[in-house]
Amino acid sequence: MTTKDIGPKNPVEQGVTQLVDFVDERSGVKNSGRWLMFRNIPAGTSWFQTLGFTAMALFGMQAITGIILAMYYKPDPNTAFGSIASITNEVTWGWMVRGMHKWGASAMIVIVFLHMGRVFIWGAYKYPRELTWVTGAMLLLMTMFMGLTGYLLVWDQKAYWATVVAVNIFASAPILGPYIGDILRAGPEFGPDTLSRFYSIHMLLIPGGIATFIGLHLYFIIRLGISEPPWAKRALRVQRDEEDARRKAARDRQAGLKGSVSFPPAWVDDEQEVTR
Amino acid sequence: MKKADKVAYDKDYAAAKKDGKPFFPYAIYKDTIIAGLAILVVIVLAITVRVEMGEPVNPASTDFLPRPDWYFYFAFELLKIFANQNALTPVIMATFMVPNILIILLVIWPFIDRGPERRIWKRPFAMGTAVLVISGLCYLTFLGASTPEGIAKGETLPLTGLDAAASAGEAVYLANGCSSCHMIKGVGAPGPGPELTNEGVKGWDNAKMTQWMKAPLAPMPSFASLPPEDLDNLSIFLNGLGTKYK
Repeated sequence: MTTKDIGPKNPVEQGVTQLVDFVDERSGVKNSGRWLMFRNIPAGTSWFQTLGFTAMALFGMQAITGIILAMYYKPDPNTAFGSIASITNEVTWGWMVRGMHKWGASAMIVIVFLHMGRVFIWGAYKYPRELTWVTGAMLLLMTMFMGLTGYLLVWDQKAYWATVVAVNIFASAPILGPYIGDILRAGPEFGPDTLSRFYSIHMLLIPGGIATFIGLHLYFIIRLGISEPPWAKRALRVQRDEEDARRKAARDRQAGLKGSVSFPPAWVDDEQEVTR
Repeated sequence: MKKADKVAYDKDYAAAKKDGKPFFPYAIYKDTIIAGLAILVVIVLAITVRVEMGEPVNPASTDFLPRPDWYFYFAFELLKIFANQNALTPVIMATFMVPNILIILLVIWPFIDRGPERRIWKRPFAMGTAVLVISGLCYLTFLGASTPEGIAKGETLPLTGLDAAASAGEAVYLANGCSSCHMIKGVGAPGPGPELTNEGVKGWDNAKMTQWMKAPLAPMPSFASLPPEDLDNLSIFLNGLGTKYK
């Protein structure tokens, strides 16, 4: 009598297994997921290499708090300041979400800079990770631009005039400057449309760009692997071995030179070198 | 990087991976702890240092402090260094040249430094650049954070010889936040705008000064919204600084 595996008896477990198998059959997610989670990383991988993930986690936090703020914020010159006041003073936990979004922006800038510093100091941007660095540099610039556009949304005097000055600076650039100025201001003057334009740039355009570039950045990281710290035990051991081999070779050459003045002649030593 | 160096690196990295540990859980647990700590710090800051409400925007009032958020202080300080005081410090250096050169260097850096060496102590040039840029940014940020914001309410300018029109001009100057960016005889912020103690020495006429107020060179904002008589008085005041009014 032959037996047939009918899987787990528990109908819930069975349902979940069937669902996973259904998805896996069409996407191959089981294999790639297993590969992604259990692929090897260099044993020396350090605490310093958590900063990239931390930056991404902070971006996630900014996205969530930003979505909540957008539910109450009104991007119109007449109502923007009032809606911020209501978020801060009336909405339940509003002050907290706004505070997290504001401090989260500063934290993200700090972490992104530290992450970049780590990669720079370790030389981790070198072959084959040049494009990982380029996508990361783009992410830094976009993060800064998030700070610039978000600053205006609060719609207070300080932010307004600082942004007027910042947009003036963009507009003063040669050749393209005036066009960039017009695009940012939504016209030749700072007006009602400027605020909604900054709002759209801040919550749709740049986050979309950041998400895209995080995807590219992660693709490169997963494809090329996490770099090994320059002082990893294994790397130092390899360097020491290479150094020892070089010294030994130099000693052998010295011995060979001395040998060449008497018997046996130098070529005997050379041959030994080859056979070894 | 030479082909042989690339091959050597690939071989070395493959060896590192072979001797390595699985991503889960060894990397994930570190990532989770540090990211969790970062988010915790943000939450603690949000609770302890509450966000405040500023003054609502009033485009008609130019009594303002155009200060950016702290992470742009370095750019703001650059504006003070290149405040168009003389031919060596044109304002375009701060608004265009320096930032764009830095951005381009940042993006193309891996294509400049192509050597195979990764050990810190064997890369003095790269490390020197890093120390220079990081300490420069920190110093400029510190300067930006520690400069006074314009002048206190009720403070006046230590000038003598003001006539009626110039006094009215001085009042316009003080009421419109000019001292947030300009300094006259040690009073007001030391930038981003140039010092105006001897502005009159340039010998501009009032029409030219009025025109400048309406359409100045970036980053200075336009003051076209001021009433014409205010602009006239302001021009008389500025064009006499260092000559008639000392």
